[in-house]
Amino acid sequence: MNSFVEIVHIFTLTIMIIAALLAVIFKKLLPSVIALSVASLLLSLEFYLLHAPDVAIAEAAIGAGLTMAIFIFAIRGTR
Amino acid sequence: MNEFFKIFIIPGGLLLIFMLLSLVRLILGPTTPDRIVALDTINTLVVAGMILVGAAYEEVIYVDVAIVYALLSYIGTLYVAKYLEGRTKK
Repeated sequence: MNSFVEIVHIFTLTIMIIAALLAVIFKKLLPSVIALSVASLLLSLEFYLLHAPDVAIAEAAIGAGLTMAIFIFAIRGTR
Repeated sequence: MNEFFKIFIIPGGLLLIFMLLSLVRLILGPTTPDRIVALDTINTLVVAGMILVGAAYEEVIYVDVAIVYALLSYIGTLYVAKYLEGRTKK
């Protein structure tokens, strides 16, 4: 079980770094925001796996809900 | 105890594989709705994984985190869907 948890940690952090890189690399604005949301989601999962559920709740509320909605409103304002 | 954890390793590994496949679609997806659907799939798989970890560690508060995340995770999908709806009508 311990090695499996380590594998899950490595997997989560690797995908989080890939998603953060994609948020920088994507040329269009909306896919970039989606990749940022994936990075935030996996950061929340990482907090959860590190036995910090309250931080995970705060990160999920701020990252998945607030940040993405505010970015979408900002992108709508740019048109 | 070891047998008890072995039960949870198989669905955990399957969830990781499914998340990886959804991530491939999120990276390669030619249009934005493909990426939105991939993000929503990853959200659902993460909620399932959180409940699985909560069951494996036998802690009730982990299931509460999963409930809060399931309530919050659809908001981003909802806003992007609203944005795309406004774009296609134009």
